[in-house]
Amino acid sequence: MSLEIRRNILIGVTLSIALVLILRLIQLQLLGQEEYGMESRRNSIKTVTIVPARGLMYDRNGVIVVDNKPAYLVSITPSQFDTLQKGEIASLLEIDQQVIDSLLKSAKGTHRFNPVLIKRDVDFKVISYIAENQDRLNGVDFQVEAIRLYPNDFRASHIFGYTKEISPKMLEEQVGDYYKQGDLVGKKGLEKTYEEYLRGEKGYELISVDVKGREMGAYNDGKDDIEPVNGSDLILSLDGELQSYAEKLMAGKRGAIIAVDPRNGEVLCMVSKPDFDLSLFAGSTSAAELNAIVNDPAKPLFNRVTLTTYPPGSTWKMMMGLAGLASGKITTKSTIFCGGSFSLGSYTWQDHGSYGSIPLPKALEVSSNVFFYKLGYNLGIDDFHKYCTMLGFGQKTGIDISEEGQGRLPSREYYNKIFGDGKWPGGVMVNLGIGQGELGVTPVQMVAYTAAIAMNGLYCQPHFVAKIINSNTGEVTIPEFYKRDIDFPDEYWEVVKKGMYLVVNGASGTARGIKNEDYILAGKTGTAQTQGNNHSWFVGFAPFDDPKIAICVLGENAGWGSQFGAPVAAAIMIRYLSNNSVDMFNQNESKITPVIQD
Amino acid sequence: MSASEFFKKFDLTLVLATISLITLGVFAIFSATSSSEFSEQFYERHMIFGIAGVVMMLVISYLPPKHLEKVSSVLYVLSLLLLVSVLIFGKKISGQRSWFSFGGFGIQPAEFAKVATVMIVAFFLSKDSEGRNSKLGLKDTLVIAGLVLLPVALIALQPDTGTNLVFLSILIPVFLWAGMPAFFIVALIAPVIVAISAFLSDIVGNYLLYVVLAITAIGIFLFKEKQYLKIGVIVLCLIAGFGSDYVYDHLETYQQKRIMSVFDPTSDPRGSGYNVIQSKVAIGSGGLFGKGYMQGTQTQLNFIPAQWTDFIFCMVGEEFGFIGSVVLIILYLVIVIKLINNGYNARSRFLSLACIGFASVFLFHLFINIGMTVGILPVIGIPLPLLSYGVSSLLSFTIMLGIGMNAYRNRNIVF
Repeated sequence: MSLEIRRNILIGVTLSIALVLILRLIQLQLLGQEEYGMESRRNSIKTVTIVPARGLMYDRNGVIVVDNKPAYLVSITPSQFDTLQKGEIASLLEIDQQVIDSLLKSAKGTHRFNPVLIKRDVDFKVISYIAENQDRLNGVDFQVEAIRLYPNDFRASHIFGYTKEISPKMLEEQVGDYYKQGDLVGKKGLEKTYEEYLRGEKGYELISVDVKGREMGAYNDGKDDIEPVNGSDLILSLDGELQSYAEKLMAGKRGAIIAVDPRNGEVLCMVSKPDFDLSLFAGSTSAAELNAIVNDPAKPLFNRVTLTTYPPGSTWKMMMGLAGLASGKITTKSTIFCGGSFSLGSYTWQDHGSYGSIPLPKALEVSSNVFFYKLGYNLGIDDFHKYCTMLGFGQKTGIDISEEGQGRLPSREYYNKIFGDGKWPGGVMVNLGIGQGELGVTPVQMVAYTAAIAMNGLYCQPHFVAKIINSNTGEVTIPEFYKRDIDFPDEYWEVVKKGMYLVVNGASGTARGIKNEDYILAGKTGTAQTQGNNHSWFVGFAPFDDPKIAICVLGENAGWGSQFGAPVAAAIMIRYLSNNSVDMFNQNESKITPVIQD
Repeated sequence: MSASEFFKKFDLTLVLATISLITLGVFAIFSATSSSEFSEQFYERHMIFGIAGVVMMLVISYLPPKHLEKVSSVLYVLSLLLLVSVLIFGKKISGQRSWFSFGGFGIQPAEFAKVATVMIVAFFLSKDSEGRNSKLGLKDTLVIAGLVLLPVALIALQPDTGTNLVFLSILIPVFLWAGMPAFFIVALIAPVIVAISAFLSDIVGNYLLYVVLAITAIGIFLFKEKQYLKIGVIVLCLIAGFGSDYVYDHLETYQQKRIMSVFDPTSDPRGSGYNVIQSKVAIGSGGLFGKGYMQGTQTQLNFIPAQWTDFIFCMVGEEFGFIGSVVLIILYLVIVIKLINNGYNARSRFLSLACIGFASVFLFHLFINIGMTVGILPVIGIPLPLLSYGVSSLLSFTIMLGIGMNAYRNRNIVF
């Protein structure tokens, strides 16, 4: 091969390489110019997100119970920000420089001209300072956003719940890409359940940026901007005045109250004490303060209405009566001899009285234990589990606030697991008969069950939201909740209700202390045995012949059912039925004489 | 000496192309750094060292060729020593220990080692051969391979794969020039092509590897060579093909991802693919005429990190468009073809081989660097000659061009 050929080979290779590069440049610059040009224009647009106002919440009387107020947030646009001013901004916002660093860092990979939220609920003085120094503080912006305002004298912390900045995990797991770092998202209560309605749709303002990163005004005359859509409002079934009253009754106590309209399952009030101040979650509360709430040993964040599981005590006896009737173990007329105690094998269970042969209503009135020991024992676990399931136990009611427990409804499998196949003592059924032992129920299950009895078997899903109103179109959505009929003959319900009537209105009723001339109340006391002072239960409904409210009250370590549960329940029911005008607790305390009896 | 006589000995084309590229580099660096947060005046340094480089180039062009031959072994040993000491005293920057720091200036011994290695190879091959057209023996081949692999081994310890590839790129053109038979050139290139097609076949489909293997095998059998040599080369190709396939399959996912993003940057848009996506946007959006000097949004808004070094071509593509880019490529073509021709015409075998070595260094830099920014080659961090900011590379390229001019001065031509 001559040197000339070799030279020509080298020149040939050189020219081919140049040709490849030029062909590629033709592809990119001449054929792809439109596409890449668009891409580069998109690279020089600053997108400012306009956060819509979150939907409001109204109570059943049209009073605003969850409102918004304007607050300022401060953001930094990374590409325009002079990092030398980091210290100044940090001290202005009273945060660490590292906080700014980590926020800017975690926003990397998103668009460089998009502002990154640094702090919300910033003091107006700080905002004025930033506004005055806008020319100097490049890339530091502020925006108005709406934060929650609770204008009433009650807390309803567990009902409304709160929003929180979205966590990195949620961001990653979200379906779609609506949420961005720094967005608020419903974390608890109604804020969480109705997040999609309340949040609205974010808007976007597009601003052109020149080669120096300076803002040049609206992109495409604002034609491509997207207007935000405000969130929808919720009309709640909650009665604000009743809620306020119930919270006052529970002040300083530990326990739970939930009252519903038995006809449709609408919740009228719900209290879980201790509770917390929601406004702490709305603004710029320090982490330390929030941690104090989270770590409080009294567990204020814990919703006792939907999450506590205690044995229901004697409030369970209607359930047993219904199961006995439905399974044919007793009839509406049959009697059981109650002699003061019940023995099985070597073990004897006591009663607080000896009543002779009594029918179901009487047994409920005096809360005889022997009647239900025997009934429970006769019923057996399978029928027990079957009929209690029909009344909603051992499962979530589906109340429309997050975090609900399902309680514990023992079954054959459950005991087989504990004691071994068939080896379990007969005594478990005796205990279950009076609502003790392994049984666990939540107050919301108890109120739904009581309402179903009041309505002769109409079991309604408890819920807070009556209507959702689109604040832009005015369109009304009525959310759907289930209702089901528990198909027992009416006489079963009537005989059980008669017993509940006698509990309050009978001569030997355990809650006769709450008997009221104007409003016919019905109910049942209960006591859950624990170490220490017992938990006080009361379930009831009123008026007896046309139920408009059903209620469950639980007082932790508050003693007998008649000591705490009954008077509180009576006061709330009468308050509601009197259109929030009668206050039993203050007016006539003597009327509520506790009977020290279960 | 008359003017015409002067220009017969003075490679004006090479000088003008060099000055044009360095000047373009100063403007490009100014534009690319104008909005950067770094206050260092990169373009000023590029200008000062560019002038120094051109002066050095002119000085070198007047040195007697014998002197250049003599210093080549000294320079080679010196650069090996520098490569060793940079491993010990060098400054570690993003995982690589390839820099000496002298009062704000960074010196990269590997850049100078490129010059010295080409010179020592040329020196060795010209030492006892007669004429320019002699054949290359096996012993010489091995010694040259050794001379190149020594700095490669040291640079691998930094580690700096991109620079090492430049060293390896010298071998084949120099072998070709030194008279290695075509069959052996093919035997060297074929396994590399097969290995690359093996990686590509993971994306395109396995048939690619088989097609390339088949074509290679047929091509090799067409040579008039001993059968066992042909079979040996084919076996080598098979090992290269299936071996790299095997290696790829056994890489960690992140390493596979890295390789994938070379061929498909969108597969990793936030990681190694980011620069390529943004540089393609920059170049593509430049269109035919470009956006105008200092008007490129991608460049001015710093979408491409440290654009004034390895990604400087983006600025040219975006602000000067297709026309500017083609002019740039033509300037490089002038340099490379000039070097090849100067090598072809050089009176001494040493200068001839050195020119070919330098031409391949330029060509390889050009291809890899622009190929990377336009997204047809992997992201391998080597500078664009004379344009990218970097004092060491700027000076070493002007030294190469000085020797290229020297070859022009000392060429076989009837005056």
